[in-house]
Amino acid sequence: MPKHYRPAGKKKEGNAARYMTRSQALKSLQVNLNLFRRLCIVKGIFPREPKKKVKGNHHTYYHVKDISFLQHEPLLEKFREIKTYQKKVQKAKAKKNEELARLLLTRQPTYKLDRLIRERYPTFIDALRDLDDCLTMVHLFAVLPASDRENLEVKRVHNCRRLSHEWQAYISRTHALRKVFVSVKGIYYQAELEGQKITWLTPHAIQQVFTNDVDFGVLLTFLEFYETLLAFTNFKLYHSLNVKYPPILDSRLEALAADLYALSRYIDASSRGMTVEPKVDASSSSQSNDRAESELRLAQLQHQLPSSEPGALMHLVADKEVEEDEETRACKSLFKDLKFFLSREVPRESLLFVLPAFGGTVSWEGEGAPFKEDDESITHHIIDKPSAGHMYLSREYVQPQWIYDCVNARIILPTEKYLVGSRIPPPHLSPFVDNEAEGYVPDYAETIKRLQAAARNDVLPLPGVGKEDLEDPQNLLYAGFMSRTEEIEAAENKKTMAEREKQYHEELKKELKKEVTGSVVDDVAAPVVEEGEGEESSVPDAAQIAQDTADMPTLMMSRKKRKLYDAMKIGQKKKSESVERIKQRKKNLKADQ
Amino acid sequence: CPLLQTHTFLSSLSLLNQTPRRRERAPERDSEMGNRSKSSRKGKKAWRANISTEDIEDFFEKSTKDALSGGNLSAAPSEDLFHVDKSHDIPVKWKIEKHREKVLRCDSVLKKNPFVQVVSSSKPKSKISKKNTNVVESKTLKQAQKNVDDGSVMTDLWGDDDDDNNGEHEKNPRKIWKMTSTIPAVEVDPAGCSYNPTAESHEDMLAEAVAQEMQKVYKAELGPEPVPLTIDGEANIEDEAGLLSVCNRIINGKSAYFLGVDNGSEGEEEADAENESSEAGNKKLARTTKRVTRVVLNKRSRQKALRKMETKEKLKEKLSKEIDSLPKILKEIAKDDKEKQNKLIRKKIAKEEVLKIRPPRLGKHKYEAPPVQVLLTEEMTGSLRKLKACCTLARDRFKSLEKRGILVPSKNIRRSLYRALDKKKYLLILGKPFGATSDKPICHFPEKCAESALKFLFRCSVVAASKYKISNYEDFMWVTKDELLAFFPEHAEFFNNTIVS
Repeated sequence: MPKHYRPAGKKKEGNAARYMTRSQALKSLQVNLNLFRRLCIVKGIFPREPKKKVKGNHHTYYHVKDISFLQHEPLLEKFREIKTYQKKVQKAKAKKNEELARLLLTRQPTYKLDRLIRERYPTFIDALRDLDDCLTMVHLFAVLPASDRENLEVKRVHNCRRLSHEWQAYISRTHALRKVFVSVKGIYYQAELEGQKITWLTPHAIQQVFTNDVDFGVLLTFLEFYETLLAFTNFKLYHSLNVKYPPILDSRLEALAADLYALSRYIDASSRGMTVEPKVDASSSSQSNDRAESELRLAQLQHQLPSSEPGALMHLVADKEVEEDEETRACKSLFKDLKFFLSREVPRESLLFVLPAFGGTVSWEGEGAPFKEDDESITHHIIDKPSAGHMYLSREYVQPQWIYDCVNARIILPTEKYLVGSRIPPPHLSPFVDNEAEGYVPDYAETIKRLQAAARNDVLPLPGVGKEDLEDPQNLLYAGFMSRTEEIEAAENKKTMAEREKQYHEELKKELKKEVTGSVVDDVAAPVVEEGEGEESSVPDAAQIAQDTADMPTLMMSRKKRKLYDAMKIGQKKKSESVERIKQRKKNLKADQ
Repeated sequence: CPLLQTHTFLSSLSLLNQTPRRRERAPERDSEMGNRSKSSRKGKKAWRANISTEDIEDFFEKSTKDALSGGNLSAAPSEDLFHVDKSHDIPVKWKIEKHREKVLRCDSVLKKNPFVQVVSSSKPKSKISKKNTNVVESKTLKQAQKNVDDGSVMTDLWGDDDDDNNGEHEKNPRKIWKMTSTIPAVEVDPAGCSYNPTAESHEDMLAEAVAQEMQKVYKAELGPEPVPLTIDGEANIEDEAGLLSVCNRIINGKSAYFLGVDNGSEGEEEADAENESSEAGNKKLARTTKRVTRVVLNKRSRQKALRKMETKEKLKEKLSKEIDSLPKILKEIAKDDKEKQNKLIRKKIAKEEVLKIRPPRLGKHKYEAPPVQVLLTEEMTGSLRKLKACCTLARDRFKSLEKRGILVPSKNIRRSLYRALDKKKYLLILGKPFGATSDKPICHFPEKCAESALKFLFRCSVVAASKYKISNYEDFMWVTKDELLAFFPEHAEFFNNTIVS
C-alpha cells in the first residue's frame, strides 16, 4: 500500500498498522498460500509476534514492511509468469495438443536464487555463519529415497549427495574438522572455517523414511535454497584451493559409489596440477583456454595412475596454500603414519570423511579401493563384528568408536579397550560438553586427560623426527623447539615460584615466632612450650584473618551487589549439589553392580 | 444525362460541406426558433417560399472562390500547407559539444602549463549511473573470464567483495536478513544421547524423557473427560430402524451428558420459590406488630443525630491520624512501586529465558517439543552396527524450524492416509445389496466397493453423496472407525488389517 493512501477505518499507527495477518498479506500480494510460503522461505521472511494481537491470538502476523519487501521482489513477477505459462501448457494438454504441450514444456521459464543469496548473505562469512542448517538438510536429503508422492526427484537426491561430498572433501582436505559426536539421532561434526564454527548433523546409515507428521513440501523449498547456497559456498572454497569447481570425477569410482574418494583424488590432482603448471606453461603461451585443457589432461592422467598408491599421490602434493594454525597442524598429523582398512559393516561414509581429515590413509572392502585387505602395511583394521574371520597379526582390529574418540581427544588412544570381540567399548563422550563448566568430569574423560598429558610429554622432546620429510621441516622444528622451550620455561617459573612461596612462608613463620618470643620475653625458661603455644595461638588467628578477608569484599559491596553475590553463591551451590547427586548415583550404580 | 449527374454530384458535395456550417449556424436557428415560438406561425415566415437558401448560395460562393484561388485548402495534405521551420534549431550533437567546449578560464590557464594536471572544477553528475555500468561491465567481464577457464556457468557470488570496495556501502553491506531467534540451528544433543553414553549422563537423559512422558499422562488425566463416542446398551441393528435408533441413542447420550447442568438450574428455581413463600409469611407477621408512638419516634431521631455526630468525630480523628502517618504511607507507595518495577524486570527476564527454549506463539497452535532421543537401557549395545533406528532426521529438522520461529507450528500438518481413515467417517447403507437372496434389508457398504474395502474407505467421503442415489436405499449412516468395528464384529480382523491404525 502506498504511503500517502490510507483507506477509511485503517489505523495510522500502533500494532494494528504495523502488523497484518497472513490472509491480509496474501490479499495484498495477490498470491496463493503456497506461493507465499515459498517466497517467505527463499526471501527469509518469517512471522512475528506483535505485542498486541489485534485480530486475535489464532492468527499469524507479519510485519507490514516485510510484506512490502516481498512486494518488490522480482521473483514474485517471475513466479506469476511461470504460473501463467503452466496454464498455457494445461490448456494445450486439455485440447489434446500433445505436440504443443511438449514444445511449451521445453521452453519453460525458470528462476534463479543467486541474487537472493547475495542479498541475504552479503559477505562470505555471513554465509558460513549460517551454514549449519543448510549442511544438515543437504546431508539428510542425500540419503532419503526419491519419491513421487513427496515430489522428490532422483536428480535432486543425487545433487544433494554430490554437494555433501564436495563439502566433506574440502573439509577433510583442509583438515578443518574439529569434533565428532555419534549420538542416537546421527553424527554431529564440527569444523572450523575462517574462524567460524560450523556444526552439522548427518543421519546414520540406517535407512531414512518419510514420516507423516512432516510437511516435506516445506522442507523441499528450504532445500532448494540451501542447495544453491551450498553450491556457491563450495565454489568459493574450491577456488580458494585453486581447484575448478564443478569437479570432474573418475566415472569408475563414481559408479562404485566412492564419490568422496574420487573427489579427494580430484582435488589433490588438480591442486598439484596448478602448482606444477607455471613451470610447464612458462615457455608456452599461458592462455587460459590452453591451461584449462592441459590441466584437464593432467587430471585425467592422475586418474589413470595405478590406484594402488594414493598415499604417495597425496604426499606428492605440496601444501603451501594455507598458513596453518597450530590446531590444524595437530589435526593433520594425528593419524599421519597409520593406514586404515574398513570392513563392510562399519559406517564407511563417515569414516572415509573423518580419517583423511586427520591425516590417515584409508581403504575399504570393495572395488575401486586404493589398497586391498591383504596389504601388509595396514596398521588398523576397523571392524564392528564380534569376531573377524582371518586375523593378520601385523594390524590391530578395533571398533569404529576408537577413531571418533581419538579424534576428539587428539591423541591416539590405547586400543585395548576397543578391541574386537571384547565387551562394550568405553563410553563415547560428547566433545561438545565443557566438563569444567559442568563441574562433573566422567571417569573416562579423566583417563583421557591423563593420557593426553602423558602424550604431550612424550611427543615434545622429539619434535619432527618422523615428520621432517613431509612437512616444512624448519618451520615445524622451530615450532617444536619453541613450544618445548616455553614448556621448560613455564616449568622453571613454576618451580621458582614455589620456592619463593616456601621461602616467604618460612620467613613469615620466623617473624611470628619472633613476635611471640618478643611478647613473652620473661618466659625464656620454656621456649619449646612457648613455641608450641605460639603456633597454636597463631592458627585460630590465621583462620580469623582468612574469614575476614573472605568477608571483606561482601562488607564493602553495596546491598544490591551483595544480593547478587548471594544469588550467585546459591547457583553455584545448586550446581555442586547436582554434581554431588550424580556422583552419589554413580556410587549407587557401582554398588548395585 | 450528364447535367443531372453533375447536379447530384454537386448536391452531395454541398451536403458534405454543409455539415460544419450547419453546426455553426445552429445557435442562430435556435434563436429564430425561439422568436418563432413567440410570434404566430401563420405569418409569412412560415411559408415555404421564405425558407432561406443561404447555405446553397454560400456553397457556390465558396466553390467559386476555391476555383479562383487554386483548390480547396482542407483537401490539401498538411505537408503542402505547413513546413517545419528549422532555421533556429541547434542540432543536438552541436549542443553537447558546445557544452563541452566551454572551458573555464581557470582551467584554460592551467592547461597552458603541460605539467599541471587539470582538476575539473565540477563533479560529473551521473556518477551513480556510471558506477553501475562499470559494475555491470566488470561483472560480465569476470563472468566471461570464469566461463572461459572453468567451462561452467557458476560465478563467484562473493568474489567482487575484495576487488572493488569503492565506498563504505560495498565494504560494509547491510545485512537484510536477521536471525529469528537465539536458538542455534543445529543443537547438539547432551552427552546422555550418545550411542554409547556414560551411565550417569544416560540416567539423567532417561529421567528427562520419562518426565516428558509423565507430563503428557498427567495432562490427559487432569483434563476434562471427552464425550463418549459410544454408549453401552443393546444395539438392535437387525431392526428396521436400528441405525436411526443408534443415532438417536448417541444424540441422547450426548444430551444426557449436558443435562447435568440443567438439573442444577432447576434446583435453584425451586429454592427461589421457597424463599418467596417465606417472605410472604413475614409480611403477615409485620402487620400484627404494634404501632409506633410519638415518644418512640422522638427517641429514634435523637439517637440518629447522636450517631451522626459520633461518626463525624471518628472521621475527623481518622483523618488526623492519616495525616500524621503520611511519611509511612509515602514509604508504602515507594515500596509498592519498587515491587512493581521488580516484577516487570522479572517478567522480562522470564520471557527472554522462555524464548531460549521455545519460539513465541506464532499461530493457532503451541509449539510442542519433540521427545528426547535416548536409548533405553536394554537398547544400549555399544555397537554402531546394532544401533536402533529410532527417528528420521527429517522430523528433527522440521521441529527445529518450528522451534526457531521460522515455521508456524500446526497440528494437522498433512492429510495422511492414517488420518483420513482414522478421523473420516464411512458410509453404511441399509437396503438390499446387489444380488441378495432375501428381501430383508441389510446394513452394508455400497456396491462395487465391498470387495476392495480399502479403496472404498478412501473414496467414499467424496463419492457417496453424489454417486449413490440415497433414495434407492432405505437408510444410510456415516460411522467412525470404532463404530464400524462395533457393527461388524465378525469382520473386525479384516478391518483392522485394512484400516491402518
